[in-house]
Amino acid sequence: MNSPLTHPAPTTTLRPTDLAGVRDAVRDTPGRIAVAGAGSAAGWAGALEPVDAVLDVSGLSGVITHNPGDMTVSAHAGTPLRALVEELSEHGQHVCIDAARIADGATLGGLVATGDAGPAALVHGTLRDLVIGVTVVLADATVARSGGHVIKNVAGYDLAKLLHGSHGTLGVIAEVVLRLHPVPQRTATLVVDAPLARAAEIAARVLEGPFEPAALEWVSDGSGRLLVRVEGTDEALPARVSRLREVLGGASATDIVSGERHSHPTTSGESAVRSEDPWLRHAELTRGTPDAAVLRIGAKPSVLPGLVSELAPAAATVGLGTGVATLSLAPDAVADAHRRVHAVGGTSQLRARPPGADAPAWGPPPSALPVLQALKHALDPDGRFGPGRFSPWM
Amino acid sequence: MALDTAVRAAFERVLDPRDVLSDPVKCRAYECDGLTGYRVRPDLVLLPRDAAQVAAAVRVCHEHGVPFVARGAGTGLSGGALPVADGVVISVARLKSVLEVDPVNRRAVVQPGVTNLEITAAAAPHGLYYAPDPSSQQVCTIGGNVAENSGGAHCLKYGFTTNHVLSCEVVLADGSVVTLGTDTGEQAGPDLRGVFLGSEGTLGITTAVTVRLLRAPESVRTLLADFPSIAAAGDVVSDIVAAGIVPAAVEMMDTLAIEAAEEAVHAGYTVGVPAALVVELDGPVEECDAQFELVKAICEEHGCTRLHIAGSPEERAKIWKGRKAAFAAVGRISPDYFVQDGVVPRTRLAEVLDRIAGMGEEAGLRVANVFHAGDGNLHPLVLYSAAAGETERAEELSGAIAELCVEMGGSLSGEHGIGTDKACSMPKMFGEEDLATMHRVRAAFDPDGICNPGKVLPTPRLCGERPGKYKPHPLEESGAIERL
Ligand SMILES: Cc1cc2nc3c(=O)[nH]c(=O)nc-3n(C[C@H](O)[C@H](O)[C@@H](O)COP(=O)(O)OP(=O)(O)OC[C@H]3O[C@@H](n4cnc5c(N)ncnc54)[C@H](O)[C@@H]3O)c2cc1C
Ligand SMILES: Cc1cc2nc3c(=O)[nH]c(=O)nc-3n(C[C@H](O)[C@H](O)[C@H](O)COP(=O)(O)OP(=O)(O)OC[C@H]3O[C@@H](n4cnc5c(N)ncnc54)[C@H](O)[C@@H]3O)c2cc1C
Repeated sequence: MNSPLTHPAPTTTLRPTDLAGVRDAVRDTPGRIAVAGAGSAAGWAGALEPVDAVLDVSGLSGVITHNPGDMTVSAHAGTPLRALVEELSEHGQHVCIDAARIADGATLGGLVATGDAGPAALVHGTLRDLVIGVTVVLADATVARSGGHVIKNVAGYDLAKLLHGSHGTLGVIAEVVLRLHPVPQRTATLVVDAPLARAAEIAARVLEGPFEPAALEWVSDGSGRLLVRVEGTDEALPARVSRLREVLGGASATDIVSGERHSHPTTSGESAVRSEDPWLRHAELTRGTPDAAVLRIGAKPSVLPGLVSELAPAAATVGLGTGVATLSLAPDAVADAHRRVHAVGGTSQLRARPPGADAPAWGPPPSALPVLQALKHALDPDGRFGPGRFSPWM
Repeated sequence: MALDTAVRAAFERVLDPRDVLSDPVKCRAYECDGLTGYRVRPDLVLLPRDAAQVAAAVRVCHEHGVPFVARGAGTGLSGGALPVADGVVISVARLKSVLEVDPVNRRAVVQPGVTNLEITAAAAPHGLYYAPDPSSQQVCTIGGNVAENSGGAHCLKYGFTTNHVLSCEVVLADGSVVTLGTDTGEQAGPDLRGVFLGSEGTLGITTAVTVRLLRAPESVRTLLADFPSIAAAGDVVSDIVAAGIVPAAVEMMDTLAIEAAEEAVHAGYTVGVPAALVVELDGPVEECDAQFELVKAICEEHGCTRLHIAGSPEERAKIWKGRKAAFAAVGRISPDYFVQDGVVPRTRLAEVLDRIAGMGEEAGLRVANVFHAGDGNLHPLVLYSAAAGETERAEELSGAIAELCVEMGGSLSGEHGIGTDKACSMPKMFGEEDLATMHRVRAAFDPDGICNPGKVLPTPRLCGERPGKYKPHPLEESGAIERL
């Protein structure tokens, strides 16, 4: 999904391997800088304008401290989440985010910077809800830290939130501290074949009941299916699943052993069990295909199904509880889609687009645009980081 | 210097003149919040009736360079709503409407003066509730919760205010009105709602809040367990976590706190035991029952000397009543006390409590402990007698405990905020560049520095002052609210 370079290769690539190296790189390199993680979302948001240097944080990798008893971990921003999850799984813990591109090697810094999340957002929110501390390098080489290593903390401003969704424009994220959760003993997913409208009705029933689904997504690439994930203990989950099955009315169930859904392989060659994992298909559809524009939208759950039907995507994943959907559209339908989403009070942003396609990344600006601009000016007055990412907003 | 009459007239043009208080006696009611040791009488107190009037009042402040302080219920314990000399207080007490309860989308839109518990009351007919539950929830406002990122006993599992607020309508320091956040967790661009949450009134005044509502859990199980040592109780907490259980709440009390609570409310606590835990689980009934058995086994493994399981909602309420009464009850065993609010990594609880006990001995003062063990949020109560001249020593000990938390890798505050009280301790936790960056963020929202100046970030003027004697909040004294 990497988009081609939009201008001749930049003169400098900086590959610092520690925090001091990031600071020195930012201080000693004049001009405009693109921050790069694994490149899994290189084409997301506005197209990057020409830069003088690329600051590649992939050398900034690995766990700094993991205290299993505290269920917190701090890691360098270039750490692929996939690697982190593997390391944590030995301790029965995980980071409660399952964004599709984790399988592509997406880094912690990149995931925070793009504000990405997967179906697990229904219970755990996005990374902004899991990040409890951050270290960032600003455009003037200031190294700032906020938060810390404890989950409860109200000292000072929460800068990690500000960086969440900043697409590399406010600062270089160097270190991230995360809150962890126990890996559930058992996970089961119930699958119901249903068109969107009916899936939405079923989802509403599930949400009204005592089932506490861990994820609730409708997926479609023509025909639609509702996926309902529940998590729990070995002893208790089967009884919950059978109660849930009654509400769903004859759903087929896929039992997935805990932990596996985090290791979605992108390439073929996965084991037979894994290829039956409906969440792999979900991740694939979320990523979209190279010839489509991928639009991420958010709206009230009650208006989302109608909105999605109206936009008639070629493929879609629709969070019926979260109100977040990812749609594959023709590039020339994107501008209109932005408008329609905003007309119902939603938000939208472009993820991937096909090479050469000229789809707008952002819809109408939010009312708080002046605040965003003021923050950009306060933290990066010369506009050094990620030029173009928020075009035309700033 | 008092505000000049032109400014007053300007406020009277945008608000009903009766809603502009200038009578010193009336204004005195606003001179402090729950941190009663700091007092500043405001020149004017404004009582706007809607969001448009809040914005109009702030515009007047902006035009005349008048600093303003937003105020909710005034239950803050860190002096966040302390007025500014020559400034105005803008109270949101009259913005008290629940604007919308949307059961389908499980959210509610409320004005900032609505209390935390009123949100749950409005949601309850739909089987929904608002999760963050500060113990001041009967009176504290959602606007104050947003400003303080408030938490409560159940935040271990469910998260804090920041995890439950989807968007806020905010009047910025120049009087413009913006919306931070959206109807979903999805955002386009940096998370401004997230920065505003917990900013203690320094980035603007919120005039409407959209919150997430949760479905009430199917089942709730609560137990009270006694242990032969703090360390044993601490190990239980660790083992519960290691077993993959996320309890709805885990609260710990030490001998002194138990003694005080039991004397006050007779909740059935065992006087004399070194430590007691209150553990609550909730969720689907099958899950809850299975995990509850596991929790009981873990307690027994660690030498639990008594295990009391709540057999009815009344018994559950009684267990919680003891826990909630502990703070106020400490007043029965000591003439005066300071309440500290620090956080340490959960695994260092036993070590920190040991250090605190040692520091107490050295200072010749008793320290009672009652706290949120699940998230390491300590509330050490430093007992002293002002009459015996122990005030200064107690204050020093309390401050040293907060800084000890930072030294242990924790935080200066878990839920009461920095406000006026701990602004001067911020350099213990953050470096110069960290604080300078926070200043830049603040200035981006409020270039002229008129929005709750002097709070959160240290200023030399405040750092020379001492807060004076701790006093219970009037609502606490009257029994309307309890500390937790
Ligand atoms: C040598 C080289 C040259 C390149 N030249 C160009 C070019 O000229 N034009 C062009 O369009 N692209 C270019 N790219 C791709 C470019 O680096 C990406 O667009 C990159 O900036 C996006 O990050 P990411 O792709 O690593 O994805 P991710 O790691 O998924 O990151 C996605 C987004 O997050 C941001 N981000 C990632 N990590 C961090 C962090 N630690 N702190 C803050 N923000 C972060 C990124 O800036 C990006 O906006 C180049 C890449 C390399 C390696
Ligand atoms: C007995 C007792 C128990 C408590 N228990 C807890 C607890 O368990 N957990 C916890 O977290 N806290 C607790 N607190 C602290 C306090 O109740 C919370 O911080 C609460 O959120 C404050 O709300 P308030 O409406 O009283 O705000 P106020 O005290 O009026 O104001 C607090 C801060 O918020 C700002 N503010 C108020 N309204 C707005 C607005 N509309 N827009 C922007 N800023 C605004 C003020 O400027 C100030 O900085 C307790 C306090 C008491 C007295």
